[in-house]
Amino acid sequence: MSTTRRWLRTRLGGGRGGMIWLIAAATVLAPEVGLAHTGEGVVGGFLSGFTHPIFGFDHVVAMIAVGLWGAFLGQPAIWLLPVVFPVVMAFGGLAGVLGVPIPGVEAGIALSAVALGAMVALALRPPLWVAAILVGTFAIFHGHAHGTELPEAASPLAYGVGFVIATGLLHLSGIALGLLSRWPAGLGAVRVGGALIACVGLFFLIGA
Amino acid sequence: MGNRFGDFYGGVLHPLTALEHVLPFLALGLLAGQQGAPAARWLLLTFPLGLLLGTAFASVAPAAYWLTPLNHVSFVVLGLLLATAWRMPLALLIALGLLFGLSHGYENGRAMTAEAVLHLFAPGVALSGFIVTALASAATLALTARADWPRVAVRIAGSWIAAIGIMMIGLA
Repeated sequence: MSTTRRWLRTRLGGGRGGMIWLIAAATVLAPEVGLAHTGEGVVGGFLSGFTHPIFGFDHVVAMIAVGLWGAFLGQPAIWLLPVVFPVVMAFGGLAGVLGVPIPGVEAGIALSAVALGAMVALALRPPLWVAAILVGTFAIFHGHAHGTELPEAASPLAYGVGFVIATGLLHLSGIALGLLSRWPAGLGAVRVGGALIACVGLFFLIGA
Repeated sequence: MGNRFGDFYGGVLHPLTALEHVLPFLALGLLAGQQGAPAARWLLLTFPLGLLLGTAFASVAPAAYWLTPLNHVSFVVLGLLLATAWRMPLALLIALGLLFGLSHGYENGRAMTAEAVLHLFAPGVALSGFIVTALASAATLALTARADWPRVAVRIAGSWIAAIGIMMIGLA
C-alpha cells in the first residue's frame, strides 16, 4: 500500500496543477473549430435518458426493489444483482433500439415490481442463480422500454449513458435502504417497503 | 503560441470532448488499476503509443473504416472485463491497450482538417489518453488499497459501460 502511495505522490502529486493548466490552455488555444466535437445534443440527450427511468414510477420502485433485495440477500447478491442487471438490460435495450417488439413490456415492468417487492416483503431467499435469472428476465423489459426511445434522442450515446446511470443510481438507493435490514427494526421497515413496492406494481399491472 | 502549437492543444482536447472516447479511456484506466500497479505501468506506456500510431495511420489511410466499429466494441470488451474482475495475463492488457489505442487514435486522426499538423495533433491525442488512463488507474489503485467497496464500484461501473456499448453497437 505504501508503495502505491509513494508511486502516486511521485508520479501525480506534483503534476496535477500542471495538468489543469494544460487542459485550460487547450481550451483557450485550440484554434480550429472544425477539429472539436460540437457536443450537440449531449446535454439534452443525457437529460432525456436520465429522466426516462425516473419519471416512470413503476421503473423507480422496481429498481429500488432490485437494490433492496440484493442488500437483503447479503453477499454476494448485494453487488452481483446491480452488476448483472445493466448488462442484461442492455440486451433488452438493444431489441428496443433495433425495433424488435417484445410483447407485454408495460405488464412485465409492473410485474417486476410486484415480484421483487413480494420477495422482499415475504423475506424469500432463493438460491443466488434463481435471483439472478429472475432479476435478469425483468431487466429485459426495463431495457426495452428505455431503448425504444434511444434512436430518436438528440444524442443517442448521451441518452444511453443517462438512463444506465439513472438505473444504477436507483439500485444504489435501494441497496442503501436495504442495509437497514441489518437491524431488527430496520428489517421490518425494509419488508414493509417491499410490500409497498409490490402494491405500486399491482396498481400499474391493473392499469397495463 | 496559438498558431505554432494550436494543433497540439486541438489533439489534447479532441478526445476529451466526446463521450465515445472519454468513456472507453476511463474504462481502460479502471481496468489497468484493477489489474494492479505493475500492469498499469505497462498500459500507461502502450496505450498512448497505440493512440499515436492510430492517429498517424489516419493521415496515411483515411479510408480504413473497419477500425471504427472497434471503438464501440471497446466499450463492451473493457466493460465486461471490468465487471468480471478477471485477473488477465499482462500480455492481453498490453494488446488491448495497443488495439483500442489504434482504433480510438484513428477516429481522432480522421477528424483532422487538411491544415492540421500531424506531428502536433497526434502527440496531443496520445497525451490526452495518458492523462485519463493515468488518473483513472491511479485513483483505482489508491482507493482499492484502502477499502473493499471500490472494487465493487469498479465492477458496477464496468457493467454500466458494457451496457452502454451493447446498445451503441445496435445503433451502428
